[in-house]
Amino acid sequence: MSNGSQATTEVFENLKLELRRGCLTLAVLTQLRSERYGYTLRKALADDGLEIDEGTLYPLLRRLESQGLLVSQWREEDKRNKRFYRLSPMGEQILEQLLGEWQRINTSLSKILQEA
Amino acid sequence: MSPSSSRNPLDLVDRYLQAVRFWLPKTRRQEDLLAELGEDLRSQIEDKESELGHALGKDEISEILKRCGAPMVVASRLGPRRHLIGPTLFPVYEFVLKMVLLWILVPVFIFIVGPATLASTNGDWGKTALVTLGNLWSGSFVAAGIITLVFGILERTHAIADINCKWDPSSLPPLQKPERRTSFVQTICELAFNVFGLVWLLLVPNHPFLILGPAAAFLKFGPFWYTFYVPVVLLTVAVIVRLAVALARSQWTAFPLWSQLLQTAVSLILVHYMIQAAGYTVHGEWHPFVTIADDVRSSEQFVRFTKIAAIVNVALMISLVCTWVGLCIGGAVQVWELLKHIRKQGTVSQQPASVQLR
Repeated sequence: MSNGSQATTEVFENLKLELRRGCLTLAVLTQLRSERYGYTLRKALADDGLEIDEGTLYPLLRRLESQGLLVSQWREEDKRNKRFYRLSPMGEQILEQLLGEWQRINTSLSKILQEA
Repeated sequence: MSPSSSRNPLDLVDRYLQAVRFWLPKTRRQEDLLAELGEDLRSQIEDKESELGHALGKDEISEILKRCGAPMVVASRLGPRRHLIGPTLFPVYEFVLKMVLLWILVPVFIFIVGPATLASTNGDWGKTALVTLGNLWSGSFVAAGIITLVFGILERTHAIADINCKWDPSSLPPLQKPERRTSFVQTICELAFNVFGLVWLLLVPNHPFLILGPAAAFLKFGPFWYTFYVPVVLLTVAVIVRLAVALARSQWTAFPLWSQLLQTAVSLILVHYMIQAAGYTVHGEWHPFVTIADDVRSSEQFVRFTKIAAIVNVALMISLVCTWVGLCIGGAVQVWELLKHIRKQGTVSQQPASVQLR
């Protein structure tokens, strides 16, 4: 790969990462309106076309929990300990605000793309 | 058994988690993340098994692990964010830095540079300590700088960018054995030895032959014995109780550590007072442990007996000092073991079953 195309790929990857970061948070919060554990959450996201690896999801869940948006609990299910997550009351409020913001950005972006 | 010939394919998951743990900081948060990763991998395996209708083999599990990523890369994602040196290289950087600073520089300065400086300063300990510490500080600073620079260059040149593509799960190191509990046989032997010792101690006052041998005919215990006899017997009883508890409650992994440390501390205090008391002379004579028996004082061999008594007293005094030094070293090792145990407990106390290696 030439230096130019390598640089383009790198820039694209970085921008894609930035774009995905916010979307992932929103997707995770939305999925956690109902209680899930890590693997089922990851599977649900993948089924909807949003693949997320283990190394990204679990630190993200910890961060959201430390911000007070999620609550979690280790519980046994099928003879194995699993950590279940769900939205906290504060998380529910923030999610509503974020979804409103998302709708506004989406509408604006659609308009901009149509005009271009 | 070699890692690749392990019979249970699920061993691979445990070996994988062990390898990821190696690169993670030893904190409770990381143990928790590791537990979730383990649960995720097992769920993936379970899902795949129900999809295929049979238990997964080593190769299929390897595929899942490969998809998850090389242990070092996964650890870098799970670990805290780094800036100067990226998350992929940071665990290696941290490892190399620790190795060089703690396991190379510090021993070199203590065992080579320090003695050399001591020789060059004609035995001036104060000056040696100052010069060695100053050199150690500047040496550490330079070494850390060079290591950081090398890793900074590696980071910028993407020298290990393909690390995630090349790794092979079957090359993971075998599982380490779980922490050894206190050995049953060892505790039984210690207990038997101490019970025997207690019986022996209780018999000694009426049967001095048991300790003095044939010399009991012309030697008797000095005043020292009567002062310290009861504390020594009580200490032996305490040791027996400690060993019995350790035997009955082998699951109390911390008990043998702190109780042994307590025992060492009490023994150290006792031996310290013994050495102090043994240093005193009575009427200009020094015979703390044994003295000449009253009925042989008028014997023709009195001078010879006095010499024997003096030799026995010196030998016992040297033994006491050696015991004191041994207890100090043993105590330091026990403190270190206890701290290691506390630290380990701290990181795994909230570790759920899912991360435990079966």
